[in-house]
Amino acid sequence: MTAAYLGRRLLTIVYTLLVVSLLVFGMTQLLPADAAVTLLGASATPQSLAQVRAQLGLDQPAWLQYWHWLSGIAAGDFGRSMRTGQDVAAMMFPALGRSLLLALLALVLMLAVAIPLGIVAALHRGRAMDLVVAMVSYIGISVPEFVTATVVALLFADFLGWLPATGYVPVTESIGGWLAHMVLPTLTVSMILVAHVSRMVRSEMVDVLASDYVRAAHLKGLSPRRVVLHHALRNALLPTITIVALDVGYLLGGIIVVEEIFAIPGIGRALIVAVQNRDLPAIQAGVLIIAATYALANFLADLAYAWLDRRIQYA
Amino acid sequence: MSLPLLSVSDYSLSYLTPRGPLEVLEHVDIDVTQGEVVGVVGESGSGKTSLAWAIMRYLARNAVEGGGSIRLGADDLTTLEPRRLCALRGGRLGMVFQDPSAALNPTLTLGSQLIEMIRRHRRASRTEARALAIAALGDVDLKQPEAMLARFPHQLSGGEKQRALIAGAFACRPACLIFDEPTTALDVINAAQVLDLFARLREDTGVAALYISHDLALVSRIADRVCVLEKGRIVERSPAREIFAAPTHPYTRRLVAAVPDPRRRLLDESPDKASQPLLSMRGIGVDYGRHSWLARWLDRPDRRFRALAPMDLDIAPGEIVGVVGESGSGKSTLAKALTGLVDHPGEIDFDGQRVATRGRLRDDYRRRVQLIFQHPDASLNPRHRVTELIGRSYRLFGLPEGETLAQAVARSLREVRLEPALARRYPHELSGGQKQRVAIARAFAARPDLVICDEITAALDVSVQASVIELLLSLRRHHGTAYLFITHDINLIQQIAHRIAVMYRGDLVELLSAEAMAAGPAHAYTRALLAATPLPVSRPSVPSVVSHATAQPQGTPPHDVR
Amino acid sequence: MPDTLKALVRSPQGVVGVAICLLALILVVLGPWLAPYDPNALSFTARYQPPDLDHWFGTDQMGRDLFSRVMVGAHATIVMSLLATAIAMLLGAVVGTLSAYLGGRVDEAIMRTMDAIMAIPSLLFALLIVSTLGKSDINAVAAIAIAFTPGMVRVARSVALAVRTQDYVSAAIVRGESTRFIVLREMLPNIVAPVIVEGTVRVAFAVMLFATLSFLGLGAQPPSSEWGLMVSEARSHLFTAPWMMIMPGFCIALVAIGFNLLGDGLRDALNPRSRV
Repeated sequence: MTAAYLGRRLLTIVYTLLVVSLLVFGMTQLLPADAAVTLLGASATPQSLAQVRAQLGLDQPAWLQYWHWLSGIAAGDFGRSMRTGQDVAAMMFPALGRSLLLALLALVLMLAVAIPLGIVAALHRGRAMDLVVAMVSYIGISVPEFVTATVVALLFADFLGWLPATGYVPVTESIGGWLAHMVLPTLTVSMILVAHVSRMVRSEMVDVLASDYVRAAHLKGLSPRRVVLHHALRNALLPTITIVALDVGYLLGGIIVVEEIFAIPGIGRALIVAVQNRDLPAIQAGVLIIAATYALANFLADLAYAWLDRRIQYA
Repeated sequence: MSLPLLSVSDYSLSYLTPRGPLEVLEHVDIDVTQGEVVGVVGESGSGKTSLAWAIMRYLARNAVEGGGSIRLGADDLTTLEPRRLCALRGGRLGMVFQDPSAALNPTLTLGSQLIEMIRRHRRASRTEARALAIAALGDVDLKQPEAMLARFPHQLSGGEKQRALIAGAFACRPACLIFDEPTTALDVINAAQVLDLFARLREDTGVAALYISHDLALVSRIADRVCVLEKGRIVERSPAREIFAAPTHPYTRRLVAAVPDPRRRLLDESPDKASQPLLSMRGIGVDYGRHSWLARWLDRPDRRFRALAPMDLDIAPGEIVGVVGESGSGKSTLAKALTGLVDHPGEIDFDGQRVATRGRLRDDYRRRVQLIFQHPDASLNPRHRVTELIGRSYRLFGLPEGETLAQAVARSLREVRLEPALARRYPHELSGGQKQRVAIARAFAARPDLVICDEITAALDVSVQASVIELLLSLRRHHGTAYLFITHDINLIQQIAHRIAVMYRGDLVELLSAEAMAAGPAHAYTRALLAATPLPVSRPSVPSVVSHATAQPQGTPPHDVR
Repeated sequence: MPDTLKALVRSPQGVVGVAICLLALILVVLGPWLAPYDPNALSFTARYQPPDLDHWFGTDQMGRDLFSRVMVGAHATIVMSLLATAIAMLLGAVVGTLSAYLGGRVDEAIMRTMDAIMAIPSLLFALLIVSTLGKSDINAVAAIAIAFTPGMVRVARSVALAVRTQDYVSAAIVRGESTRFIVLREMLPNIVAPVIVEGTVRVAFAVMLFATLSFLGLGAQPPSSEWGLMVSEARSHLFTAPWMMIMPGFCIALVAIGFNLLGDGLRDALNPRSRV
């Protein structure tokens, strides 16, 4: 891996964010919402509306507005919420932190369940165990989060009463309380990912187990355990890294729904509130932050892949 | 005769398929005694690889054993408990595979793969195993064995990998080794070196070996005895020296007859000494990649790769010109340049007329020069039926007068000795030989004057190859077609070519007549190539080829472009 | 095509997938006629009825028959998802094949832009588009179609690139076929199959996404009996009448499973080499 590769990879992140910012800005321009009306209310006088428009720069051409917005972000200024007048950055970044904690929990749970599941299925290919895993993953991949969320809430919160159904306790306040509120959302959001990733791990593992070098390892007289753990697993998990990174996009989408249902004050919920209120600066900032998170996750995955698989020569 | 070390007796094996059991091995008997090399020869589908897996006790899930025993010394492998079997594999009973790149785990260093094996079977500590691995690599003439240990498989050449694998197998002190086509994936000269290495190690260690291959000439050269396997049955066993001299079973006779023998010409008439060549090329050369102005400005190294140095060649009407070389010699690039698939700066004159220097070729040229590819699986569109595949040539280049398209396709199929009923089939419903015949029919439907054959028999069994070659020669007798026949098989090309172009790393090193080739070529590389290629004969002693094989062509031109 | 169908129903997943998707198709076409009750008929005497012989899926807070509502709602959910995926598939196949065919910098630019669009999660993207265009089911279709397109572009392009290097394309170039013939007759038939497979699997995803949008109040609008909307409305009655949520939720999952199975079955069946 060379500096040139790193540089080019970072450049694609910048390009990604540029495209996303253009998209988001373009779309919010089309929104049938007049920021001045949103701020002052429908009863405002034409003079005061014009004054606010000038103040916000809304009378300027779109490309200039875009430029101001972008240069503001580059300086760390995401603008102010039209609904609350609060600094959008101060609103979004703590929310992002809460969401990332949830995402991290879901990722850990997903990896802890999906990888062993996929391996077990591959080792028992064509037998009952494989069929069971396949059925579970077909079901898992086909139930939308909002259905899962409602079912687990019904079961664990209301029927069994083990866990709180909705709400949030900051981790700084009480780790136990935070964890209790996180169990159901984590479970919900990782369900589809577990199903997806376990299928991928299975099919990679099946391919690797059928490969010549695994056969060669068996015929070298290595124990089956060593062949699976030392020779096969490594190669099967490498492509999984890329798949997991791409799934981060899906995870971030799932978090939006889950936060809405379980009333977690994360970035997903903030975004839904912003969309409902047509709060342009908040929408723009939120989407940009999520896209940046995704791009960063993929970048890290690429680095991990390159580090683990030193065969790849990055020119 | 001493007791056999490895003994397969009355062994049968079948695979369960949705359409019923498929017998792959039937009542096979093979004995290998201490220090002996037994060759097993068979075509694809003969069950030779299944035999290797059966001995190694690595059977497919749907395999069903039909009785018989496989013994190594005193142990019956078919009933041995898994733990002891595991200890045996790679230790007393080793195996060397066909494709050395596939047999090594791509993400582990060569060292870790060798050391784990040596530790397992020699009960050595890590440092002892490391020392043993270094010694083993030195034994197989690999340079800088210590540095080698830290390398990943992709950093080694094919020949190096295979030698390293052989080093590993011998380092575990095997009593018996199974070789499954260990040189098939290698170039001729590399293969010869590996075989010499094997002969030397075998002498030193006295190991018994079962050598499995499709190549009768090669097996007869290195084995003491040869077993011929046809459809799961051993049809003939004889001392290696006699297999070519006196084959007894009809199948063996067919096989022996199909093996290309450079001394048996399949072509007697020489081409018309026409006043002008059919095709004449001047300065055909190909560089891949580009050196952009930005890279030049940044003083980056020139990454252009010279696939083919500018070369001149004439082909007379009805002449067969052979192009022979190892992989990377530029022989396929030549085919691409002549057919307009890659750009070249040279000139082509066809039938006295300038064709084009670059880019667009004339329709007339496209019809009269046809290309047949190596793999019919790739060159026949899997979604088209045979009738469309062949019919396309007639649509583009015109139907003969008084024939419908269906009649023309049927005639084309008959011409390549296929049933016209096959016209309705898709390529995947045909055998490998049938597919290549369809590709030939498609080329001849254009009524070409020159057919470029790019390794068209390389993927075929030797008996199928013989029938395809026979077909090509009869088509030539019929239509007077010239061939540019590209191959890696120097024995085959000596049988059928009028003139032979020898290529090495993008350069034409020598262009000589078949007679001159038979008399003894001038160039060191051609001599090395000939020496490395086993002849289908039983010679009393085989001279070592290493001294020739390592010789580089003299005056190799520089390979950078500037 | 009959060959493909035969190969499809030979695998267990193919059979189940075909069966579920056929059932869904019947619901879409005949749902309103098969429904035993008027899906919007209110009945105060029959509120919160658990499933029984009269009302197979029970009734809701207004006494509407859930079975009838689900049957009628199939149309909204499935047709919209199919439509959105078909649009994305078409757009993706065209752009992806073009990108692969043009190659070089154009290809690089198109693909980096598609990667960039994929950095916005599809749900969020759909959310944005719907909030821009306004809440309605047609806008939800547009949103999902646009959100799916980059993924389809990627699939189509990678397949087209692989096909482009095949010898049969080289053979066509050598014998002087027109570009039109090469793209349409040599390449396309080999590109369509994997794109259809990917599309089928995506229908499952679209069903879920469409239901999610409706659930968030941004897709179908009341009194539609779109399944996601039914789940959303049932949430407040979860404890008194869980069947209200379970029945449409189960249907969404079933249809999604069906399309997933069908896609995987097609993948095996359309592979010309696995069919001997």
